[in-house]
Amino acid sequence: MPQVEFPTQSETDIVVIGAGPNGLIAAAYLTAAGFEVTVVERRYEIGGGLATEEILFPHHYANTHASYHFMVDYLPPISDFHLEGEGLRFHKPHGQMGAVVGDDYVYLTNKLEDSRDYLARFGLDQADVFGNLVQRFTKIVEDILAPATYLPPDPPVDLIEALGRTQVGEDMLEVSEQSALELLDSYPLADSIKATLLYMACQWGVMPTESGMGFIVPLLLTRGMEKACIYGGSHRLASALARVILQRGGLIIDNAEVTEITTEDGRANGVVLEDGQAITARVGVLSSLDPKTTFVKLMDPAAVPAEVAQAAEGWAFDKWSLLSVFFALDRKPTFKANDANGMIGLPDPFMTLLGFDSTDDVVSFLTGIERGEITKVAGHFTCESAFDPFLSQKQGEHVAFFQMPAPYDFDWEGEQDRIVAEVIALLDTHFEGFAASVLDTVVENPKTIEQRLPNMVRGSIKHGDYNPLQMGYNRPNTECSSTKTPIEGLYLCGASVFPGGMVIGGPGYNAARMVCADTETKFPFDYPLNVKRYLATYFPEGKE
Amino acid sequence: MIAEQRIQDAAGTGRPAVEVGNGGRMPRRSSYDFVVAGGGPNGLTIAAYLAKWGFSVCVLEARPEIGGGAENVEPIPGYSVDPHACFFYGRGAPGLEQLELGKYGFRTSPAPGNFIAGPSGAAGGADRSMKMDSIDQFLEMGFDVDSAKLGLEFQQKLKARLPEFLRSLYWTPPYDHRWGVAREEHPSVKIFKEVFPAWDDSMLDMSLYEWIELMGVPDPQKCGMMINAWGNGPHPCWKGMAIPAFGVGELMSYVDGMPVTPVGGMHALAHAMARCAIANGAKIFVNSPVSEVLVEDGQAYGVRVDDNSALQEKTIRANLGVILNMHVKQLPELVTRGSFTPDFIQKIDNLSLKGGSLFVTNFVVNEFPRFAAVPEIDGRPVTSTVLNADTPRLLELMRDVHSFRTHPTDPDHFAGVWYICHGAHDRSRVRGGNGNYVLTLNLQVPAPEDHRDGPDAVNRAKDEIVATLKAQLREYAPNMTEDKFVATFVNTPRDSEIRNMAFVGGNWMGMRESEQEWGQNKPLPELARYRTPVDGLYLCHQTSHPGGLVLMAVPYNLMHILHEDYEAVSKTTPDWWYPSPWHITDKEGAR
Ligand SMILES: Cc1cc2nc3c(=O)[nH]c(=O)nc-3n(C[C@H](O)[C@H](O)[C@H](O)COP(=O)(O)OP(=O)(O)OC[C@H]3O[C@@H](n4cnc5c(N)ncnc54)[C@H](O)[C@@H]3O)c2cc1C
Ligand SMILES: Cc1cc2nc3c(=O)[nH]c(=O)nc-3n(C[C@H](O)[C@H](O)[C@H](O)COP(=O)(O)OP(=O)(O)OC[C@H]3O[C@@H](n4cnc5c(N)ncnc54)[C@H](O)[C@@H]3O)c2cc1C
Repeated sequence: MPQVEFPTQSETDIVVIGAGPNGLIAAAYLTAAGFEVTVVERRYEIGGGLATEEILFPHHYANTHASYHFMVDYLPPISDFHLEGEGLRFHKPHGQMGAVVGDDYVYLTNKLEDSRDYLARFGLDQADVFGNLVQRFTKIVEDILAPATYLPPDPPVDLIEALGRTQVGEDMLEVSEQSALELLDSYPLADSIKATLLYMACQWGVMPTESGMGFIVPLLLTRGMEKACIYGGSHRLASALARVILQRGGLIIDNAEVTEITTEDGRANGVVLEDGQAITARVGVLSSLDPKTTFVKLMDPAAVPAEVAQAAEGWAFDKWSLLSVFFALDRKPTFKANDANGMIGLPDPFMTLLGFDSTDDVVSFLTGIERGEITKVAGHFTCESAFDPFLSQKQGEHVAFFQMPAPYDFDWEGEQDRIVAEVIALLDTHFEGFAASVLDTVVENPKTIEQRLPNMVRGSIKHGDYNPLQMGYNRPNTECSSTKTPIEGLYLCGASVFPGGMVIGGPGYNAARMVCADTETKFPFDYPLNVKRYLATYFPEGKE
Repeated sequence: MIAEQRIQDAAGTGRPAVEVGNGGRMPRRSSYDFVVAGGGPNGLTIAAYLAKWGFSVCVLEARPEIGGGAENVEPIPGYSVDPHACFFYGRGAPGLEQLELGKYGFRTSPAPGNFIAGPSGAAGGADRSMKMDSIDQFLEMGFDVDSAKLGLEFQQKLKARLPEFLRSLYWTPPYDHRWGVAREEHPSVKIFKEVFPAWDDSMLDMSLYEWIELMGVPDPQKCGMMINAWGNGPHPCWKGMAIPAFGVGELMSYVDGMPVTPVGGMHALAHAMARCAIANGAKIFVNSPVSEVLVEDGQAYGVRVDDNSALQEKTIRANLGVILNMHVKQLPELVTRGSFTPDFIQKIDNLSLKGGSLFVTNFVVNEFPRFAAVPEIDGRPVTSTVLNADTPRLLELMRDVHSFRTHPTDPDHFAGVWYICHGAHDRSRVRGGNGNYVLTLNLQVPAPEDHRDGPDAVNRAKDEIVATLKAQLREYAPNMTEDKFVATFVNTPRDSEIRNMAFVGGNWMGMRESEQEWGQNKPLPELARYRTPVDGLYLCHQTSHPGGLVLMAVPYNLMHILHEDYEAVSKTTPDWWYPSPWHITDKEGAR
């Protein structure tokens, strides 16, 4: 019987819940390993955070969620599946950050010496301090943080012992103890530069004063100067991964919300969709959703061990979310030249930071956000169509967005209009005739993020808070951080599992490897070179 | 170093062509057996057919998304709207089973509670097109006794042969005009003659309107049938189009007399088509506008894509053929200069775009519209209907649109407005909140180029038209006060035209479906068999027979032609393929 409609009963080896970057990466590897995989996605489009949609309807597209891609140089699926070229192209703007802090303009590029040339305006010593900082952080990232993204986490004792083997490792341990602010404070940097770096390190949800989060600084500073956009929109990465899955016989079903993960004799054996279709999984189920949704909402309580359920209940969602204001514009915004610093005629940076006066200002702003207050309007801006002509379907017109950390618990209904007016006023002071050029405005606040992607509970862009209790070996808890859960056949593969959120691919990659290891299936690719080097250096006797 | 560079260049990736792992590197081909320009439903379907048949296929789509007229957007969180198509009429398509779209996730959802509303809030009648099995039902609708008898007999005979009738009409390649096949010899006419009890040959010249009059169909059913035709293809007043215009109505009620939407919206169908194609090895690239179809010595050998495309290769070669999923009016600009005679180009210029320009309104509402005069149809609340189904009004609207070349400004001319409530039967469309729905209301307006006040006239009138539509809905569903409307998204023909280069004239069906521009004449007699004057260049767009709607019919028909033209196609005929039983090959036809 030819299948004219998707069947109510079907069977596959592996079901992956959620077609965000992590679900797709896991599915791509598992299909390549020879498994029959079915990915089920709740929305009408796959991609999760990789969304490029016509929200400025009609004619203007925007990357509703992820726009800045920090890890494209490392993401294993890009090289393993040769994704680049086949309609997928990354574009790394030279100017990465242009921050207006008080009267200063801090311009950072993806070439260290160019950044240093611009920073030397604040004094030659500043260029040197910055150079030293970047060199130190780059080592930590290249040798440790980047490769460790694609390996399961280690218990703290083991990690300390392993990292103790090299100087860079020792340094990494030292950095990790500190808070982002402490770490940056240890450098004699001009305040405007420090404010810029602190924002870059903390904008996605880290408190500057939180100890034990220092490692985020090297990661987000060095990668923050290597951000890429995806030509044609972030969604292209999802499409490229989907193609890998489909070409290898995998299935992707959209408009299909999973309402239950089924178990039999303590083993996860499939899912049920909202319309009642049951998909049986012979090998296992991978959930890219947060632990609370996975273990509490979708599973029969009797099938979940008490300590897992308890840990899931205690899961803390992101301490803040984001507010994005998307614009369709009748022209490209032109930055008003900052004469005081003579920074005229620099190419548009990928990210422009606006609204802060000082490092203290950044700290108090974020402290306010954490408390649920928006003390001022400040954040980052990108004119996406300046780098990607396809986002505007009308010639000469542009799309841009302003984004800032924002609390979930906030009177969005009452306050949003005022805040958006302030955003436009801020942009108008920095871009020629900005307010007059606005054709259409669409606002995505933490609540609307949750409406589009309910798995981003409370607008959690990382599916769960970044704090020392929820990072590393603890993400989401010690039982599950390897991606394998105490429930046989059930794996976690989303941003809530180590190493965490953003489009970094670690959770999906690690989960796919874990399934292969558990089923004694050969993983079809070698580790990337940097991971091999990391393993050889820090785990010469092998890793658990 | 140089050697390494060469390897990289050859690989076209800038990466060493050395395998890491055994993940099966796809060859970096810039040449395929077939290149399909355009990723609309017809382009995706032909790609799926060819890929499943075993050919290498590449689809190049200009927009950031595949799907053409089958797209969805979520302009506010949780609500998915269809800017263009929303009803699925292709349930009888051979392609659904040949390509096994269900395997790729495709599901449909019938919209129950369908009826045709009389003017100004009047109850009208239930649309039971295929469910009428007693004289009484006809009499209840206002037929006189003789017409009721005729209607019932016709209905019963047709029911038994409906799939066959529709396949002969849609899923059969048109015959070459040079064969001189008489009109009454066409398979759909033959079947119609057999099922219609009062056939006489003069019906071949009739318009649907004339035929309905003859049948004694009363309003609002009469107007419902007319708007069905206007909204789905052959205009009810176009001469000689009674049978095809009747046929489109039957497409709509194919499944239990109910309109059907794909679960998740029309784009879900495009996804299933694309996934089928990809699973069978096709490559689909978006953001890749084709800027030229390359022709040498009268033979198409590939396409060039716009320099902005994300593809590394800007020239994509086609070893066997280039297939255009584009409006026939795009041909002269796209194909290498000098490939067509001025005469031929003139004929293309002369093709009319009238007949298919829709003003699409999508409302997000926070309450289910309750139709006061019709609480229930067959035990279900109304979810789909035609508002103001009143023939005199509809005739006024037709004159506004086609004769006076303007959108209606008199509220009394807003007739035959299509209405569907998404979310009542498919919750995946309205995840934003319980009790919220997406309504689609479609009104006929002139093609932008034809509007007497210029191509932007309808866009300028957006607010007024929306206000009238809302007021009209309130006449039926008084609970729909202004506060029930959460958001409004309008897509005008002008907007369609901007978002999709193939929607020339914003025309949803491509171009006029009149007798001179239909079947063996569509879009021109010399193009009717999907071939073009350029060898290896084929048309696969709704401007070819059988025209608009997402039916997977143009590609199915085209497969017959490719089967004739390419030995590579005919010698590998797979077991899942079956041709139309009425297909006549060129060899047979020429005899
Ligand atoms: C506004 C915003 C801006 C961001 N900017 C950036 C950025 O610039 N750079 C960056 O790297 N990251 C950014 N992020 C973060 C990034 O998008 C996420 O961390 C990342 O997408 C997480 O990937 P994931 O695959 O784990 O989960 P997700 O991307 O959240 O995907 C999960 C998928 O599961 C689906 N799903 C949910 N429930 C169900 C169910 N019951 N059944 C089936 N499917 C279900 C969802 O629809 C979704 O598609 C941003 C996020 C937001 C919200
Ligand atoms: C308002 C409206 C309502 C409709 N309602 C319905 C309905 O309810 N049910 C139904 O079945 N049908 C409906 N239709 C009709 C349906 O959408 C069309 O019949 C169908 O989309 C035609 O498919 P196609 O593949 O032939 O062309 P298209 O859908 O137009 O696809 C052509 C594709 O080619 C691409 N293209 C154009 N030029 C180039 C180029 N140079 N290079 C690369 N790509 C290019 C376009 O971007 C597009 O994606 C509606 C249409 C409209 C406009």
